[in-house]
Amino acid sequence: MPAPHAGTSQLKASAAELPNQAQLVDEAVKWLVLMNSGHFNDVDAKRCAQWRSQSTEHQRIWESVEKLNQQLGSIPSEVGMPVLNRRRTQQNRRTLLKAVGAAVVVPGTVWVGYRAVPWQTLGAEYKTGAGERRDLTLADGSQLNINTSSAVDVAFNSVQRVILQRAGEILVQTATDNKPGGSRPFIVKTEQGSMQALGTRFIVRTHPQSTTLTVLEGAVRIRPARTQETRIVKADEQMEFSDKAFGRNMPMSPGAGQWVRGVLYAQEMRLADFIAELARYRPGILRCEPSVANIPVSGAFQLKDTDRILEALEKTLPVSVHTRTRYWVVIAGR
Amino acid sequence: MTGGEPSLQQDIRALYIDHHGWLCNFLRKKLGNSFDAADLAHDTFIRVLAGYRQASIPMLREPRAYLTTVATRLLINHFERKSLERAYEESLRLLPETLAPSVEERAILLETLHELDALLDALPPKARTAFLLSQLEGLTYEEIAVQLQISTRTVTRYMAQGFTQCLHHMLAQAN
Repeated sequence: MPAPHAGTSQLKASAAELPNQAQLVDEAVKWLVLMNSGHFNDVDAKRCAQWRSQSTEHQRIWESVEKLNQQLGSIPSEVGMPVLNRRRTQQNRRTLLKAVGAAVVVPGTVWVGYRAVPWQTLGAEYKTGAGERRDLTLADGSQLNINTSSAVDVAFNSVQRVILQRAGEILVQTATDNKPGGSRPFIVKTEQGSMQALGTRFIVRTHPQSTTLTVLEGAVRIRPARTQETRIVKADEQMEFSDKAFGRNMPMSPGAGQWVRGVLYAQEMRLADFIAELARYRPGILRCEPSVANIPVSGAFQLKDTDRILEALEKTLPVSVHTRTRYWVVIAGR
Repeated sequence: MTGGEPSLQQDIRALYIDHHGWLCNFLRKKLGNSFDAADLAHDTFIRVLAGYRQASIPMLREPRAYLTTVATRLLINHFERKSLERAYEESLRLLPETLAPSVEERAILLETLHELDALLDALPPKARTAFLLSQLEGLTYEEIAVQLQISTRTVTRYMAQGFTQCLHHMLAQAN
């Protein structure tokens, strides 16, 4: 039996119409066309980053965008042009497909409808764009740090303190509840489940299909949305979970939470992973070619100027940074 | 009353017994070798079975016409893959030695090319050319317009068409 999102109904009753997948694709395509046009400016970049961080569904669509970019970026044009632009053996293939399509339903291309996630329709109270960060003190004295490209609702009522995290990454330092008459539980909810603080400092990061919890101090109890099972994660540990399963309990990754100080920390990180991290803090597209993907990167990088991080990479690693536009950067071999 | 599944299996078995030999023969003539022909015949029956399962299409009166349609489609796919591989080998031969990929890189490259090819498949040739000039050569819309002798607006439309096609395809696969 799925665990209900307790308290959701008390927060906001109105469920606005959710955009469907086709609509979101149209919107993403508009951004892509603009991004490639050479007329993409700072304001566009900011709005695009906001668009991406609206919900996990937006994130999911944008992940396909990034995968497509990665694939296109991995093809040298000397190979890609003659191969992909070759004359097709059958140019009127589509007509033929239509004729066959009437008789055969091909598995794998069946359209699957949009899964509605009701609480995603709630308006986020706090949003950050790419490269933005916000630090807040909540009504009960708890500290909330919101990392790049994130969206959260803070919803405290008389029985509980709830943070609905719709996208991105946050760090929470809970305070002892100052409400007279006992302490209300402090809970962070993502699409995959809820995490109850047991006196603590912790980081929650959302991915399209999962959530990662890192506990810096104290402990946190995880309850995925679609099981009754719970797990407790202790200080210096991290765990990824989906809406119905737990990942392994892992030691905390080095440098976790350094973003609160504006630092991206890497210890022997693959360049491809490093670039994927860095891309979260930059508007536009940042690509890494497969030929340099496995170069190890170490260091503490100041996130306030990501252009300088790219310059540093070029100086210290055997890579070159190709800036097609400010919002379209490719890291390639030298 | 008999259930749908057993009678479906009987139908498929009958279809197989009656027409498998004929289909192999048909494909061998098109392909010129019985090895690929047997493979494609097998795939054809798999597709037909999947089609029946998903849409519960009743048995057709002319199964051979139907099998031919499905098999022809697979044939086109097969030839298209071969043509891609030939173009790929050719392009590697022309590549300067300094850019030559390793054996491992070649395999990844070919796989990616097949994936992208499937994404771009249904695009009209001109839209595909415009899309690739932008994404692989890094040309601006204005430069593409001049090269293809079309308006910048048309280039913009082609780009949107390309991205839409790719994203829908990718998301459908992910689902």
